[in-house]
Amino acid sequence: MRTETVNGVLAKPGMAVELKGVHKRYLSDSGTEVDALTEVDFTVKKGEFVTMIGATGCGKTTLLNIIAGLETVESGEVRLAADLRLGQTIAYVFQHYTLFPWRSVLDNVTFGLRMHGVGRRARNKKARELLSQVGLSEFENSYPHELSGGMRQRAAIAQTLALQPKLLLMDEPFGAVDDSTRRDLQRMLTDLWQQNKTTILFVTHNVDEALLMGDRVLVFRERPGKILGEFEIDLPRPRNRVNIAFTELFIKVRQTLSVDLD
Amino acid sequence: MLKVKQINRKARDWPKIFGWIFLPALLVVVWQVVAGWLNQPWIFPTATRVTDQLIHPLREHYASGSLLSNTLVSLLRVVIGFTAAAVAGVSLGLVMGVSRTFRGLLEPLTEFLRPLCPIAWLPFAIVVFKLKSLPQLLGLDYTRTIFDEVQLGMIFVLFMGGFFPILTNTLDGVAGVRRNYLSLARVLGANRRQSFFHVYLPAAMPMILTGFRQGIGLCWFVIIAAEMMTGSDSGIGYLLMYASDQSAMDVVIAAMVIIGSIGALLNFTMLRSMRIFVRWQGKE
Repeated sequence: MRTETVNGVLAKPGMAVELKGVHKRYLSDSGTEVDALTEVDFTVKKGEFVTMIGATGCGKTTLLNIIAGLETVESGEVRLAADLRLGQTIAYVFQHYTLFPWRSVLDNVTFGLRMHGVGRRARNKKARELLSQVGLSEFENSYPHELSGGMRQRAAIAQTLALQPKLLLMDEPFGAVDDSTRRDLQRMLTDLWQQNKTTILFVTHNVDEALLMGDRVLVFRERPGKILGEFEIDLPRPRNRVNIAFTELFIKVRQTLSVDLD
Repeated sequence: MLKVKQINRKARDWPKIFGWIFLPALLVVVWQVVAGWLNQPWIFPTATRVTDQLIHPLREHYASGSLLSNTLVSLLRVVIGFTAAAVAGVSLGLVMGVSRTFRGLLEPLTEFLRPLCPIAWLPFAIVVFKLKSLPQLLGLDYTRTIFDEVQLGMIFVLFMGGFFPILTNTLDGVAGVRRNYLSLARVLGANRRQSFFHVYLPAAMPMILTGFRQGIGLCWFVIIAAEMMTGSDSGIGYLLMYASDQSAMDVVIAAMVIIGSIGALLNFTMLRSMRIFVRWQGKE
């Protein structure tokens, strides 16, 4: 049975996303049915920064695709706040291919505005503001292949923020960059979030990253995808990872994850 | 560090220098010596005789025009035929690549016509279009310009030569667009029409240009062959054939040199434009 629930039933006031008993199955290349998600329940409050951690696989990406409205579910309910719509207020930063290689950095950042009919002057002005916020002002005429991995992800974030999204979905966006770049990007994203108060659902397979940024961490199990546990991170920002409270949480998350591994 | 790089570069470049200068020079010298020794210019003229023709491109050959005027006629035909093929090939390729319906309907037909040698169309095209020229099609009479030499039959055959490589490459380019870019465009609010112009078209551009390159090369092949057939009375292929009948082998070889050089130049131009227009290719 296929129930079209995305944007159908609205989430409760104050909630951005509510998932109830979401089940997703797909056919693998060999023709067998695989459960990608089983009984997934969770909520994301408006303005909340939720990180989701789990081993690398496709279940988490599927989940984000479902929330974005790019994929449908077999059963269960996906409820979104009334103002969340794909292509308008939901932004999505993919893991790979986050920029159009045939467009300059500036033209990538203005893409969404152009699709919405914003004039050239206005969209370039907005894009230049965003590029200066993510530290890429000097690279507006560069092409994606001329940028480092970290710079590309900065540009991708500017590209999605141009539409002033209310919900930002991020699929391991910092997975392919080195550690120091990753820390810069984490700090930048946290700052941007504190300024804009966008709701963020951020998927990662790095426990440190999940704990450093999230208000709440969801621990996810793959194949079939399921939420194993969730942790409130009540630590002040900017967070320090060399800290007893942080380390205790780190161990708890790790233990929850390794239950999955046994 | 810098020095090592320079040495490597020199070491790598020697075959190129040799291939561009020494080998062709050697060939010309051998040619000159052998032809001089044979002394039968109606079979094998010397390099100097051929060079003499090449540096006098305006010299009239009997009543058939000069090397230059005939070359221009061939080039004009190719430009017109290729442009028509490019417009039709890209449009149809884009539509067939995006729509399964159109692809399903048209692919059997294109797959049947594609392997057919374009020259095989020539007798049919000449019968259908007679020797009607482009100005006549537009309702004009004899315009006394080079356009009078652009016969519809020739254009049709060139179209057949250029169309299929452009169509198949465009089709492959559109069908091979990464789904990620389509998702990205959708997330950023693009509708179907916008995705077509802002994702499918630019993403397929490297393949479209590859199609252009193959297409224009094939058009240049086709026009020479078509002009050598009976019924043709202008073009560099025609002059080559006519000069051969007159045993003017120096003109024949001069025409061959021109045909080869223009073919290489067309290819080089397409390669350069690819490097300019799709700098991102292969660097995703």
